[in-house]
Amino acid sequence: MTVMAKKKHGTRVRETKMDRVFNAVNLVFWIIVLLIVLYPLWLILIASVSDPEAVLQARVLLWPVDFSLMGYEAVFQYSELWGSYINSIFYTVVGSALSVIVSLAAAYALSRRFAGKKLVNLAITFTMFFSGGLIPIFLNVVNLGLYNTRAVMILMNLVSVWNLMVARTYIQTSIPNELYEAAVMDGANHFTYFFRCVLPLSGTIVAVLSVYYGVARWNDYFTGLVMLRDRSLYPLQLVLREILASLTSTGSSDTFFAAYADNLGGLQEALRKAEVAKYCCIVVSTVPAILLYVFMQKYFVKGVMIGSLKG
Amino acid sequence: MSVSVSKGKRPGGNLKHRLVTTVRRDWQLWILLLPALAFFIVFCYFPMYGVQIAFRDYKAAFGITGSKWVGFKFFEKFFNSYYCGRMFANTFLLNLFGLIFGFPIPILLAIMLNQLNHKRFKGFAQTAIYVPHFISTVVLAGMIYLFFSPTNGIINHLITAAGGKSIYFIMEPGWFRPLFIGSEIWQNAGWNTILYIATLTSIDPQLYEAATIDGATRWNRIRHIDIPHLVPITVMMLILNCGSLLSSNTDKALLLQTSGNMPTSDILGVYVYSVGIAASKAQYSYASAIGLCLNVINFAIIMLVNAVSRKMSDISLF
Repeated sequence: MTVMAKKKHGTRVRETKMDRVFNAVNLVFWIIVLLIVLYPLWLILIASVSDPEAVLQARVLLWPVDFSLMGYEAVFQYSELWGSYINSIFYTVVGSALSVIVSLAAAYALSRRFAGKKLVNLAITFTMFFSGGLIPIFLNVVNLGLYNTRAVMILMNLVSVWNLMVARTYIQTSIPNELYEAAVMDGANHFTYFFRCVLPLSGTIVAVLSVYYGVARWNDYFTGLVMLRDRSLYPLQLVLREILASLTSTGSSDTFFAAYADNLGGLQEALRKAEVAKYCCIVVSTVPAILLYVFMQKYFVKGVMIGSLKG
Repeated sequence: MSVSVSKGKRPGGNLKHRLVTTVRRDWQLWILLLPALAFFIVFCYFPMYGVQIAFRDYKAAFGITGSKWVGFKFFEKFFNSYYCGRMFANTFLLNLFGLIFGFPIPILLAIMLNQLNHKRFKGFAQTAIYVPHFISTVVLAGMIYLFFSPTNGIINHLITAAGGKSIYFIMEPGWFRPLFIGSEIWQNAGWNTILYIATLTSIDPQLYEAATIDGATRWNRIRHIDIPHLVPITVMMLILNCGSLLSSNTDKALLLQTSGNMPTSDILGVYVYSVGIAASKAQYSYASAIGLCLNVINFAIIMLVNAVSRKMSDISLF
């Protein structure tokens, strides 16, 4: 420890004038980068709790103007949004849990030696670089009878090759092979070893995979767009698309807001509130994904690093 | 292997014995592998088999193999279509500009992050630049519409406040690519630093110490230690990226495409979706043919780039 500290001290003494200039430039660089990254997010947040007129006149720049929660009150009324919210929670939780289990089991298998492994590896990697394409995938789902079902939202994109590789590398590098040999000596087979040794030691990679799969599923709208017809099955992002689509030239989503006019004090009022409600929708739909990331972040960066080192 | 031998009753058992042990142990691995394998077979390889409808005149009533074989009819139809050239050019240029502007930034960010002294600030910066990655495409498109709106978007308010004329960004063909690529960089540049940061943290600290003792400045250390270490991973990422020069971020383009910006936003992926899925009278075979074309070209590019890279620099994916 002391040696380390000394060395650190030693380098600091050696900082030349050039280095100090560099450090200053770097600091300015990072302040600018962070402003670019964070300001749009901040803007969404403050607009969501401001007055619609202030937002429309772009007076909301640094701080909420005429603080009000009317946007959130309006969003609260959008029953279709909340229905899709529950759908998305279902698709995300069930789907990601399944994805993590299936990926981890496969990753473990691929981390061991067995006859036929090369072929399996090749077949899996190949799907990364070549696919049947959108239409054959769609027709395949139709032929399997999965079109317009909840099951397709779970089963599509169940395993991502990339995540599988990250998990495999993690198992290979962070769980010593001696453990396996010792376990086998004690009479363990692959099942017992996987469930009783690998899983308990895979907390980090489970966290990483949960975030990867969870966020991908939560944010996906395209699968629903192609594979679903019933509005009652729609995931959150598809409904969100309609809400935010009024911003396009077609102005189609006014119908979405108009549907809730009775509860929001008339059409005029509903559309006025919609101006901030859009920001509120962004907040309520994005916060879960970002929270998941922030909570898991501790394991996350470490796990991704380990997994990607040799990936 | 050694384990199974030491565990066996007859040390150094014959081949048959070893085979039996292998099978007895390995079947469990296959069981663990089975769900994932089933997924890849059903959802990746079935569609690859189904891609033959690109060569058939697909009618749902006859099924995939029952539909009439028409050879390259739909490919010809596509290559002779009026907008074919424009779509190829748009797709290629969108990806090319995305690569030119987007590819170097994560490397720059990783190098600069690695040079930050203050540990807390470094941690904060690293956490912060990942955040936009967790925003959905729909929300990202919504943000673009909100911020760049011609009437009440903040950008146009700033432009008019500065005495400029308001721009209808989302309807201007000239602004589609900057918006698309700019938002892509904003969203993913931070996230894409992960691999580079991982590479930088794996560099032996003694190298830096030795260099510092020899009087290397920070700039010298970046130039002579960081950059050489980043070359292999950079080349690998470049190869991977080249493999998607003709693929398209369809879901995002679909959200940003408007009647106004069609001259630049009309890209192949969106076209496949529009004629194959969204159209009231979907042309499955025609859309499949276009999709297959793209996949084959992408695959060929990645193989080519990979081979060239292996020849020239010994760095390759496979």
